[in-house]
Amino acid sequence: MMKLWWSQVKSIVRLEMKKTFFARRGLWIYILALLPLLLFIAQGFVASHERGSNTEMAAQSEKRLTSNDLRAVHPDMTTDEVIALLGKPAVRFRWNQRNQAESGEVTTIPHEDFRYSDGANTLFIDFEDGKVASLNIRQAYNLPDDSVVFAGVFQFFYLRLAIFFGCLGIFMNLFRGEILDKSLHFYFLAPVRRDVLMVGKFLAGLLATCVIFMTSELLQIIVFTGQYSPNARDLYLYQNHGLAHAAAYLGVTALACLGYGAFFLAAGMLFKNPILPAASILVWEAANPFLPALLKKFSVIYYLKSLCPVDIPTPPGTPPLLALLVSNSDPVSTPMAILGIVSVALLVLYVSSFQVRRLEINYTSE
Amino acid sequence: MSGNDRIVFEDVSKFYGEILGVNRVNLSIPPGVTSLVGPNGSGKTTLMNLMTGLVRPTRGRINVLGVSPTEPEKLFKLVGYSTQFDSFPKGLTGFQFVSSYLRIAGSDSQTADQLAWRAIERVNLTEAAGRNVGGYSKGMRQRIRLAQALCHNPKVLVLDEPMNGLDPLARAEMIALFRAAAADGCYVIISSHILHEVDALSDQVILLSNGYVVAEGAIHSVRDEIREHPAQILIRCDRPRDLAAKMMESQSTIEIKIHNDEHGLLIKTKDADRFYLALNHIALNGIQIESVAPADDDVNSVYEYLIGSDEVAR
Repeated sequence: MMKLWWSQVKSIVRLEMKKTFFARRGLWIYILALLPLLLFIAQGFVASHERGSNTEMAAQSEKRLTSNDLRAVHPDMTTDEVIALLGKPAVRFRWNQRNQAESGEVTTIPHEDFRYSDGANTLFIDFEDGKVASLNIRQAYNLPDDSVVFAGVFQFFYLRLAIFFGCLGIFMNLFRGEILDKSLHFYFLAPVRRDVLMVGKFLAGLLATCVIFMTSELLQIIVFTGQYSPNARDLYLYQNHGLAHAAAYLGVTALACLGYGAFFLAAGMLFKNPILPAASILVWEAANPFLPALLKKFSVIYYLKSLCPVDIPTPPGTPPLLALLVSNSDPVSTPMAILGIVSVALLVLYVSSFQVRRLEINYTSE
Repeated sequence: MSGNDRIVFEDVSKFYGEILGVNRVNLSIPPGVTSLVGPNGSGKTTLMNLMTGLVRPTRGRINVLGVSPTEPEKLFKLVGYSTQFDSFPKGLTGFQFVSSYLRIAGSDSQTADQLAWRAIERVNLTEAAGRNVGGYSKGMRQRIRLAQALCHNPKVLVLDEPMNGLDPLARAEMIALFRAAAADGCYVIISSHILHEVDALSDQVILLSNGYVVAEGAIHSVRDEIREHPAQILIRCDRPRDLAAKMMESQSTIEIKIHNDEHGLLIKTKDADRFYLALNHIALNGIQIESVAPADDDVNSVYEYLIGSDEVAR
């Protein structure tokens, strides 16, 4: 019997995959999946341009500077002292600040700005009346710091929006889309158990979302790490857990598709309008940090957050609400998180199997 | 016949919210061609959807040769259903539409292809089988749906308006196909509103009106049971006026009309059995009778008597 079911599931997956991948109404899902990739490609261009101008600036400097040289500058140093320390700047320009007193008297304060670079970091110095008034070091793009940015994009855009809405688009359409197309009866007239049909459709949706979102995630990782020098990349990937992080991101993506997929498959059978369940699940997931411990466990994001490899820091001054969203106050271990999300998905699918058996073909009421 | 040899409806009702689909239906359908006859909205498609599990009864039980429609994995091994729904999974050719169905049913690739081709040949669609179903004409779509219903050689064929969109030649072919299936012991359930086709095709009819079964059985026996409507009998003979005079002596004769060509007459009688006995005596007295035929035991007349001429016209 299992052999028959498996053969039926494979046939359903084959049919569904064709529809899911090439559906015109699914185009926005590809766009959603590729948005972070575009972001990292754009970041790569900006970083590359900045690296180029920094290298040029460093080459034009009188002295070959290190980052320690740049950090040696301190407030109240004079123009001459800075030049003595760092040499003549590659970029230098003067401007005047005009102040008008209450009496109407106008005073002019001369300013001079210097810019130095060690080839990676850039030092901006503003001199007011011949003395350092402000200085700012813009650090070069570096992998360890940028990996936190990558984590932020993954957690706040990719996981909570792109994968969430992508799963909504694909899984809700597995049944609802065919009811709207008036073609669901094709499956319902075949000698196949309704729950086997549901499993086939779910696996097709899972395969499609995993291929789309994991491919995008993999490309994001490649583009993100590809913008750094081979040395920095190797250091990050092989010595700073970069490879493990990449694997974790791919795993979390797959588990997100599994968890959200199960919820949206069920919603597609229960609701005619996808907006209501989508909004409800979105609110439920967003409210997770505020829920009691027991209720937290019935959400997908609770487990996914525990599996994300990089924590997003909450420096002093972060708004409390955002800090609560970012923090994972009650993390679970990796095995428990995987088990939890698989259990939640299976539970939702089990409940859905009752619904699919009760589903009727009544296109006129849709 | 036991319940496992019939399609049985036991006190079945179906409501769509507050709208009645069918109400208190009790049927026991034997093998052969059974036609569901009724105007739009009378409940024909609902009955078919109920027996194939596409909708669930609000009340009552249905049993198709011993199988409940809630078990599609068993039911559709016995049943092939050609629906009126005119939508297909996107991007499939006619051949893929049928073979995919067989693959989902569990057939291996080779068997599915063989069965699909055989079914497509039976509905004469071989040349168009490689084309996308989206580009088919209405008649071709009808035929590919029939191929899907036939492809796994089911014991029960449920066909919702199967002649829609078919040209006269194709209709004749389909009628022959359904008759052949019935002759092989199949249960062929057909819904139709084209009454002369139903007459030509059916072993039994089920007349529906507003969700109720108003009559069922062989068309002649249904007619016999409508006592309040006199039977109309058409007689061709050499001396119609003499025959009319003789027949007027019978108390059961209500009305006689002589045909314009003076070689026939139409008699209305409230007791057909007594009429035929009387006719035998008259025939022995020298009037040459060429033919005697009931003029109103077709589905159209029966339907008109039971439901009214307005409904038939619809």
